[in-house]
Amino acid sequence: MIAKEFEYRRPTTLAEATQTLAEHPGLAMILAGGTDLVAWLRDDVIAPDLVVDIKDIPDLSEIKVVDDELHIGSLVTFTDLIESETIHEHVPLLAEMSETVASPGIRNRATMVGNICSAVPSCDAGPVLLVYDTTVHLTGPNGDRSVDINDWFTGLRETALTDDEVVTHLTLKLRKHGGVYVKLMRYAGEDLAQAAVGIAAYPDNEYRVAFGAVAPTPIRSARIENTLHGNELDDDLVARTVAMVPDEISPITDMRATAAYRTHMTAVMLKRGLWAARQRLDGTGPAYGARLV
Amino acid sequence: MNLELKVNGEQWVLDVAAADVLLDVLREQVGTKSPKVGCERGDCGSCTILMDGRSVRSCLVLAVEAEGHDIVTVEGISYEGMSQLQDLFISNNSFQCGFCAPGIVLSATELLELNPNPSRHDVQEALAGNLCRCTGYEPIIDAVLAAGQGQGETP
Amino acid sequence: MTTTFPFEADAKEDELKAVGTDAVRIDGLDKISGAAEFVDDIDFGPGLLHAAIVESPHAFARIVSIDTTEAARAKGVVRVVTGKDFPYKFGMYMEDRYIFAQDHVRFVGEQVAGVIARSHREAVQAAKLVEVEYEVLNPILDPKQAFEEDADLIHPELADYTHVPWFFPKADTNIAHWRKIRKGDTEKAFAEADYVLEDTYFVPRYAHCAIEPHVTVSKLDQADRLTVWTASQSPHTQRHLFAQALEPLGFTHKDVRVITPYIGGGFGGKAGVSMEILGAAMATLVKGRPLKLRWTREQEFYNTYQRQGVTAELKVGVMDDGTITAVEHKLYWDAGAYVEYGANVVNAAGLSATGPYRVPNISNDSLCMYTNLPPGGPYRGFGYSEFHFGLESHMDRIAEAIGMDPVEFRRKNAIVEGDELSYGGHMNPSGMIEAIDKVADAIEWGVEEQSDNPNTVMGKGIALFWKAPAMPPNASSASFLKFNEDGSINITVSGMELGQGYLTVMAQIASEILTVPVEKIRVETPDTDRNPYEWQTVASHVTWSSGLAVEKAAVEARAKIFDVIHQVYGYEDDSLYLENEKVKCKTDPVFEKPLSDFVIDGIQTDEGTWRGGPIIASGKFMPEFTNALSDPETGQGGHPNVHYTVGATGVVVEIDKDTGRIWVRKAALAVDAGKAINPDLVKGQIVGGLVQGLATVLYEDMRFDEAGKMMNPNFTDYKIPTAFDIPDEVVPIIVEVPQPDGPFGARGVGEHTMIAAAPVIANAVYDALGVRIKSMPVTQEKVAMAYLEKSTS
Ligand code: FES
Ligand code: FES
Repeated sequence: MIAKEFEYRRPTTLAEATQTLAEHPGLAMILAGGTDLVAWLRDDVIAPDLVVDIKDIPDLSEIKVVDDELHIGSLVTFTDLIESETIHEHVPLLAEMSETVASPGIRNRATMVGNICSAVPSCDAGPVLLVYDTTVHLTGPNGDRSVDINDWFTGLRETALTDDEVVTHLTLKLRKHGGVYVKLMRYAGEDLAQAAVGIAAYPDNEYRVAFGAVAPTPIRSARIENTLHGNELDDDLVARTVAMVPDEISPITDMRATAAYRTHMTAVMLKRGLWAARQRLDGTGPAYGARLV
Repeated sequence: MNLELKVNGEQWVLDVAAADVLLDVLREQVGTKSPKVGCERGDCGSCTILMDGRSVRSCLVLAVEAEGHDIVTVEGISYEGMSQLQDLFISNNSFQCGFCAPGIVLSATELLELNPNPSRHDVQEALAGNLCRCTGYEPIIDAVLAAGQGQGETP
Repeated sequence: MTTTFPFEADAKEDELKAVGTDAVRIDGLDKISGAAEFVDDIDFGPGLLHAAIVESPHAFARIVSIDTTEAARAKGVVRVVTGKDFPYKFGMYMEDRYIFAQDHVRFVGEQVAGVIARSHREAVQAAKLVEVEYEVLNPILDPKQAFEEDADLIHPELADYTHVPWFFPKADTNIAHWRKIRKGDTEKAFAEADYVLEDTYFVPRYAHCAIEPHVTVSKLDQADRLTVWTASQSPHTQRHLFAQALEPLGFTHKDVRVITPYIGGGFGGKAGVSMEILGAAMATLVKGRPLKLRWTREQEFYNTYQRQGVTAELKVGVMDDGTITAVEHKLYWDAGAYVEYGANVVNAAGLSATGPYRVPNISNDSLCMYTNLPPGGPYRGFGYSEFHFGLESHMDRIAEAIGMDPVEFRRKNAIVEGDELSYGGHMNPSGMIEAIDKVADAIEWGVEEQSDNPNTVMGKGIALFWKAPAMPPNASSASFLKFNEDGSINITVSGMELGQGYLTVMAQIASEILTVPVEKIRVETPDTDRNPYEWQTVASHVTWSSGLAVEKAAVEARAKIFDVIHQVYGYEDDSLYLENEKVKCKTDPVFEKPLSDFVIDGIQTDEGTWRGGPIIASGKFMPEFTNALSDPETGQGGHPNVHYTVGATGVVVEIDKDTGRIWVRKAALAVDAGKAINPDLVKGQIVGGLVQGLATVLYEDMRFDEAGKMMNPNFTDYKIPTAFDIPDEVVPIIVEVPQPDGPFGARGVGEHTMIAAAPVIANAVYDALGVRIKSMPVTQEKVAMAYLEKSTS
């Protein structure tokens, strides 16, 4: 039961949506899958006067390849990603990541864009979208704009999205790569990440490395990427990058894990993940979906 | 506000508040009591329903969002007798207190619809969002696997 | 204590038709079709009111003032209540609790006021408007801190509280009950022992997590009859406590009716009385209107009974040949703010804290410490799960220290029939040795296993368990049985179908004696107006106790059936028997009379008159050999426990050395059911209980901040197992050494299956990695960090 009452609108165009948002600055919230929003309403941690449901706006549910770019609409759910052939063909890591999100009953509603809009430190989509140099496309009363994913997460549960904007879609540049998402959970069932590592290995020893749940936002590590850059992966190189982990992250101790365990495990996951990503680039390595921890 | 809702094939016209969640509306206004209130924040799965054939947590859906969608609960799949899956759950003594059963029946129904011959891992994955405190899941998983392999014909 | 029952004369083991079969649950269809009705599913019409509770944000505080003016004026509000409306105490074993807080609050969540409104939303919104001013006091959150001599008193009036005669509270301390056992001479035995190991183990609090939250609907009608529909394990005990607590308002037992439909899991959490009394009390102020109070999941965590935490100081002495000579066990229980039920957990643990071992010299202290955390109470295992963690960890460590195989060590010391118990009496027949051997066999004890994953190692562990029902010495059960026209049967009892299969098992017992198939027997959930008495469905005692009551009713019905036949046809009663729903006669092979011919209408005699009439019967059982009175300083002299159920658990685990992740590859659990009336349901208890137990050791853990507020009152952060978090394989093993006074030899098994789960994992972790974790839970994090420390030092 949600105690606080609010108004509900279901616009059918983006213009109507952004206009409605603009008319209620700071008082309206966007509803897509609702798996975070409705839970937070019920928990009384948010109290909007207006909820704007964007699910009747056409064309936001698309997954498509346009030239060398993958386009993912803001209403695409985690289940859509898992079941999409396009995703399995081009970016199977998105399916691997999606399968670690909660459970089918949530994934059938929860959207990946919603995940990065909620922007909790443990959001699963964060580290993965970071390693693909994703672009977030938004629209607002003043027109469209795009934000580099590296500039998206601005703080704890904070993003570059303004009050009157709606995310329309994401685009990812398609390149040959091997990807991996390693997620530490308290048990095998559904859980939020205690710590997470996303890695993309590109040809010519180019890497992207990102971490989740070990800082106020998902983060990339340029230092580790630079250390790896141009060098053939071997035990020594892996050991050197793993040794950098404590300086690259700023984990906290909370109910889910201590900072010490998060640090230890981020190193373990980076080590296992680097090898797996490298092998997947070569078409070997564990199948997508296999759990490394 | 007015809401037109299709539940188990029947059309309802209801008066709801925007803040009313689908779970409460189904239970209190439509009278379908099989979706249960377990946690009201998406963690337990006992409020599971099928929405256009897919499992959804009705505690995380505003009732107004459900307009235009096809809602099915366990009552809806039990009108014309038990499904083969339900029969197997019964003969296998799969449940104890049974509070989780409606949600699990629906999650497993969705699974078998999408994947008629699931592996043990597939079954675990499909049920991972439905908490059961009594059974240790073993007899539930067994019955779903049996249903998947077409064993245990409906008597 | 051996009692013979009439059925034994004609029921031979190999002739059993219903008992011992895997009968399909009689509630199966209800539950799978959505038909099963739980309290929250019952419709009460438009007059239904809703309640919301104002709770204390402080763990310990004095209430300075409560202002309800604004709340009372809010939209939809019918009434606001506070402690002033109900200055009444209640409690199960000790009356230390008020319905609503009076002048002090003693835990975060304690009920301070209640709001009754026309809708749930209005009640919750108005509850926020109640203003309470507190003078905050320093909370005591640790039992050892509560034990300190100069500790603040949480209950300064402890000396005035009424309680059962087997509790020993210490006035002007925080010790609500101190159960002592003294036997032999421990000091001498430790001095003479070849090896003594002493250590401390820590067990945190745990939550039951029944998936159905507590819910109650109460209605005082215009004729002053109070009816309470409640999700409860204890309808009659609830009626009794409601009637007692509300007695000042003029209620007597006959004015109070408790109806308990299906319940969505209990595990002890829905035993006794907790939030239900709020609903019952508030309903008395809104006459004629039903009032619903349903706990949220959060309240379910922090405002119902919790499994108590314990700090266990354990000292065990052994001889070189492995004989245990002495045990000293000091258990400091974090019993919480009110111990009206929890103190009996402390008592039960104290009586049995040696574990299932033959120990000549014993010194047990089980201390029930008040703390400013939520009230402790019953949880599947009732104190035994808690102390077995340290005890069974300790036994492994001792075996290793003296160079003995842990299985051999346990076989040597395991308690068997006739051995003396810590409080005097003697151990009942038990299959402990068989259980140990079968479990060791199932996990191939002694055979080392290798993992082919370089990151992981394998380990094995074993642990024993025992437990006796903990109940008042005169806890009793009763049953009514009646035939219908077609020869089908209705049985009424007041045990609860918690999911364990109680209704089915009662039907099987009656079926066995009356030869009416289980499918033709209906057993319904209780209504205290109509169903006969049952103390509570707890303590794993209903198969045994209520089973005996049903058995007696069935035997009485059979005697009445034979009597009618005798009256009409002249056959001697002892020549008659039942077969396939017919009466037959040993001396006249052609005679047969179907039950459906006469169990309602009777039999017409040659003269045209009728004999017989509706066959109805009743049965009751109360143990008449128990006695809870004993010497407070030694615990000697009484006979508090009816019998023990024993067994063993073993696991094979695989552990990732880097992450600490533990996979239970195989688990075997043997329990001595005496006689498994429905083996499939016993297996259900084995698998379900084991998984619940494994969760307490692998990841579950209630966390409180320094102010005593629970930090993880939800399934997001209090993790309970999902379909992924189960052993790859469970080997359920049923041992059957009959309980002489049990129905068909049966004894209870419901709680036992989770008791040894914690130490068996701790032992397997040690076997695999050489690290010993002495505080629960043994999370992957603790394992990884301990192993990291070990391998880098
Ligand atoms: S009630 Fe909806 S998931 Fe628990
Ligand atoms: S059978 Fe009780 S929760 Fe599943």
